[in-house]
Amino acid sequence: MATTTATLILSSADVTGHNFSMTQTATLTKAASSTGLDEFTGITSRKYPAAQTDTVVVADSIYVYDGAVAHKVYIRNTSIGNSDYILVELEGNVIVGRLYPGDWMFIPYAGTLDIQVTTIATNVSIEYGVFSQSTVS
Amino acid sequence: MAKTATTTVSFSLSSSDLTSSAINITASTKLTKAASRLGLTDTSGLGVKTTTSIDQYTLFYADQYTADKSSKVYLKNLSTIASEYFLVSIDDEPLGRLYAGDFSFFPWSATDGVRQVISLTLAATWATADTVTFDGQTITGAAAATTAAWVELLATTKYPNWTAAENGGASDTVVLFTAKDSNNLENFQLGSAEVATGSIVATITGNGTAVVAQVTEGVASANDIKITPSVATSMSLEHILINE
Repeated sequence: MATTTATLILSSADVTGHNFSMTQTATLTKAASSTGLDEFTGITSRKYPAAQTDTVVVADSIYVYDGAVAHKVYIRNTSIGNSDYILVELEGNVIVGRLYPGDWMFIPYAGTLDIQVTTIATNVSIEYGVFSQSTVS
Repeated sequence: MAKTATTTVSFSLSSSDLTSSAINITASTKLTKAASRLGLTDTSGLGVKTTTSIDQYTLFYADQYTADKSSKVYLKNLSTIASEYFLVSIDDEPLGRLYAGDFSFFPWSATDGVRQVISLTLAATWATADTVTFDGQTITGAAAATTAAWVELLATTKYPNWTAAENGGASDTVVLFTAKDSNNLENFQLGSAEVATGSIVATITGNGTAVVAQVTEGVASANDIKITPSVATSMSLEHILINE
């Protein structure tokens, strides 16, 4: 059984009137289980020479999906600058949000819809990977 | 000078045995406004939502935030029971399940819907004790009144799900009702309000009239963030929204 640990640290001295710092750690396990996720795509790194429209970065057909799954998806905009965002969507134009350069996301993934990206500029860079379970729980 | 703030969010993911070589992924970024170096300035604060049924709950309403910016959402399932999860959805499309102890961090576009606007046009003279009922409120005239007086009365009444305003202008015979939420989609009986089945019901004993018309058709937001707990017993979800 593999042990994969994710940690998030969120901190700000001035977004509220008080210092704020939070650290969260989670072990990535299969659904309803203490057994670790057993599959990983590796981190894919791409630089798109042209603007993209609904380009699939995570194809739902690859993953089991009957509901009891705890897949996780990581995506990061590795571009430089301020404005060249990556619009992340679920298949069917379900908009999630914009990743501006340097922004990242880490989400649970049901495996029922493709995850797509749309960009507006050339030479936008992205990295992404999926941690998943090979069978439903 | 515009207010700014510095908020940093870091992420690391590691495993020594998922692959034959150790994995160590790290990412760190300052949360900035869209296409800007200025930091995000608004936050909901760290909050907790406790659920007590397996209904779907709306955690963040897209209408309440500026669309297509750089907002970020953090969620964590505080349950310690491995089988308990929250299904996280963008409106009604499932993103995935957050099982006990799992967290998530993602951008949110907060794409608005369109709030419905309707008009109520009054005319002629209203008698004492005439009434207009709308959105759970019944407004009663104290005495025979002009349409202008009735328009003012209706426009200054507080409604749970709608805001009301006089349309303005010299005639002052129209009240505009605007839904507070784009997902508040009524099926109005257009035309005369003097019917018992409409969302607006006018009981008029004088020669007054009240006519309902749709000004703007409502379109539901498809971008609310919703959660559905796996069990009806108490579960808690921790959350933060950081937005501009």
